[in-house]
Amino acid sequence: MATALASVAEIDRELAAKRWDAESGEPYQRTSVMTHLAWVPEAWVEAAEDVLAGLAERHPSRTIALFPRPDEDDGIEARADVDCFESGVGRQICTETIRIELCGNRASVPASIVQPLLLPDLPVFLRWRGVPPFGEGPFEELLDVVDRLIVDSTEWPGLPGPYGDLADVFDRVMVSDIAWARTSRWRPQLASLWPGIAEVKRIKVTGTEAQAYLLAGWLRSRLDREIELEHEPSDRLVSVEVDGEPAPFPPGDPPDPADLLSDELDRFARDRIYEQAVRSA
Amino acid sequence: MTETAQPAAHENPLLEGLTIRRMADPCAFVIFGASGDLTRRKLFPALYSLALRRMLPEQFAIVGVARSEESDDEFRERMKHAVQEFGRDEFNQEVWDWLAEGMRFVATDFADDGGQDRLVATLNELDQTRGTAGNRVYYLAVPPDAVPVLVHALGKRRSTDGWTRVVVEKPFGRDLTSAQKLNAELLRHFEEDEIFRIDHYLGKETVQNLLALRFANGIFEPIWNRQFVDHIQITVAETLGIEGRAAFYEQAGAIRDVFQNHLLQLVALTAMEPPIDFTAESVRNEKVKVLRALHTPGPKHVVRGQYGRGYIEGEEVPGYREEPGVDPNSLTETYVAAKLYVDNWRWADTPIYIRAGKRLARRETTIAIEFQRAPHPPFEQADSEDLKPNVLVVHIQPDEGVSLEFAAKVPGQGIMLRTVHMDFLYGGTFRTGIPEAYERLILDCLLGDATLFTRADEVEEQWSLVDSIVALWKRDRPAFPNYAAGTWGPGAANELMRRDGREWRRH
Repeated sequence: MATALASVAEIDRELAAKRWDAESGEPYQRTSVMTHLAWVPEAWVEAAEDVLAGLAERHPSRTIALFPRPDEDDGIEARADVDCFESGVGRQICTETIRIELCGNRASVPASIVQPLLLPDLPVFLRWRGVPPFGEGPFEELLDVVDRLIVDSTEWPGLPGPYGDLADVFDRVMVSDIAWARTSRWRPQLASLWPGIAEVKRIKVTGTEAQAYLLAGWLRSRLDREIELEHEPSDRLVSVEVDGEPAPFPPGDPPDPADLLSDELDRFARDRIYEQAVRSA
Repeated sequence: MTETAQPAAHENPLLEGLTIRRMADPCAFVIFGASGDLTRRKLFPALYSLALRRMLPEQFAIVGVARSEESDDEFRERMKHAVQEFGRDEFNQEVWDWLAEGMRFVATDFADDGGQDRLVATLNELDQTRGTAGNRVYYLAVPPDAVPVLVHALGKRRSTDGWTRVVVEKPFGRDLTSAQKLNAELLRHFEEDEIFRIDHYLGKETVQNLLALRFANGIFEPIWNRQFVDHIQITVAETLGIEGRAAFYEQAGAIRDVFQNHLLQLVALTAMEPPIDFTAESVRNEKVKVLRALHTPGPKHVVRGQYGRGYIEGEEVPGYREEPGVDPNSLTETYVAAKLYVDNWRWADTPIYIRAGKRLARRETTIAIEFQRAPHPPFEQADSEDLKPNVLVVHIQPDEGVSLEFAAKVPGQGIMLRTVHMDFLYGGTFRTGIPEAYERLILDCLLGDATLFTRADEVEEQWSLVDSIVALWKRDRPAFPNYAAGTWGPGAANELMRRDGREWRRH
């Protein structure tokens, strides 16, 4: 880390200094539509950085990536960057990325560090990598300052157990699940099988565990009936059989992870169909 | 609207919560004027972009019709180059192959019965091989004098299977009488909801954003009226000349090329009352009320101009009368400015100044709402700029977005004021790529949504105002050229504003 910033005030000063073009002396154009928080435990750093790189240009926002380091000495070590992109002739749009290592006890009280850095009056999205520690300090703290929680239950072991804990937060915060978004091409295909699908007894899903549980939960909740699930593991959703008959394959290519997160960052309403699918998964 | 939740969710519970893109019905898209510039530069790049995004129906075909001889393969090859040259997307061979497979070319003069038979036979063949189901879009990208002939011929031979839609490019007539005649001819053969009079300005994202700005934000509507707005300025400025279109431009001039359609549509969208919903009829009902209430107070409030020799971006350019194909004594205007009033409760006595011209200092289309000045600023003005009024500027092109100008204190001792801009830059906030106007309009036509197209009565109201101005012009002989290329138009246009104690916006 080139210049480790140790306080919120230092982060603010660094950002203010970087909002100017060194050559022309002119300020950069700054457009903000949200604050995007990302909670990134050690194991997810590489994957998270890839997605952040893909997102920066699409969502002019302030991104605050939080890297918990509970085993280190107390304190924060931060870096603040202003990234600019061409936007029309001779104009640039800039977005801000703040990377904060939360060391020692700071990892258990992230809200007090994050709150002064939120862009006022704009929505706050929290992307939580891995299974959130439901009911525990940092997760509970951050839930209280965000408008929307974005998870990817594909990253979760032990499904469907954690879905029960997730359902408990639905009344506190809006939730998006990238695993659910990955089923979006298939759900219209299954809906197109109506009315034949109304009496379905059993489905076989070849895909991730999360996709299998969510599709089964969706069909159970929408059709209000018990449906048996058979799951064939695969790293992507490649087929769904309804009572032994393959559903039509959806057109187009599946979107990449940055696209999926990008789409979720455009959503502002509560997805009750997803919530019911989770409760029935 | 291209995306909608399925309405039948009460019957099929699996549809609830799904957002499904509304797909157009199978159809054949017939372009008359397939050898023209519009087809090459706009229509095919737009069709390709729609195909790339899977927004065209699976059963789709395109038939190019023109007088020049060309085989299907030559037509495909020419359009492929057009897409590669003018398209906004990377070229994808697979998508092109799909589109090209459904392309046909019919060489004919359409007044000829044999040619009509060949087109009908081609369309019938496509119904069989491509499943286009008798649905037809006829896009008339042809010179104005060819439109009535085509409309008559198409009307006589319209398919009895499926639906038919006719897209008519501007100019729609050349005065009120000819527009009424053309409307009557169209309505003799087609219903109003089958007629799509295109004004590509309405397909621009930023023009539609004007409606979002006005009707989705509580702060603007209460001050969007004569009590708070001092005046409105609408500018459609081009740096280009006539680009080889002398035959058309000599007949049309700036008033028919831009004023009658783009400018008056921008006036209507700026001044209209909130529609009760965003359906074609509601929006167009409100626009036509504005057009009906629009007038110019008299001849001295309209200025026309013609460019002479000058410089554009450092390069010397010829005057209008020196352009190939232009009469050396031409009295055709390449610039028009006017002061207009909308006689209604909201806008009475609030002037709307509009100007459009070719070979102006810079390319720009803007709508500027200039608010009344602060009534009594309690600051000494020494060392400050003159206190300026707040201006809300909607940038249609380029730099699409919205700016608000307001006064701010310069940091330091005492009170020094400066005008600052707060900018919302469309492309910088939503970086998903702004679709070309023709993409949106073609898709809406395929879906049968006429909200962004002009209705018969709108066109006639627009011509009614233009006719009243042209009638005034017949009384005098202007001293053309009266502005140099690369400037902001004739001095008389500045005088038009100065008389009212105002100025055109500085650029």
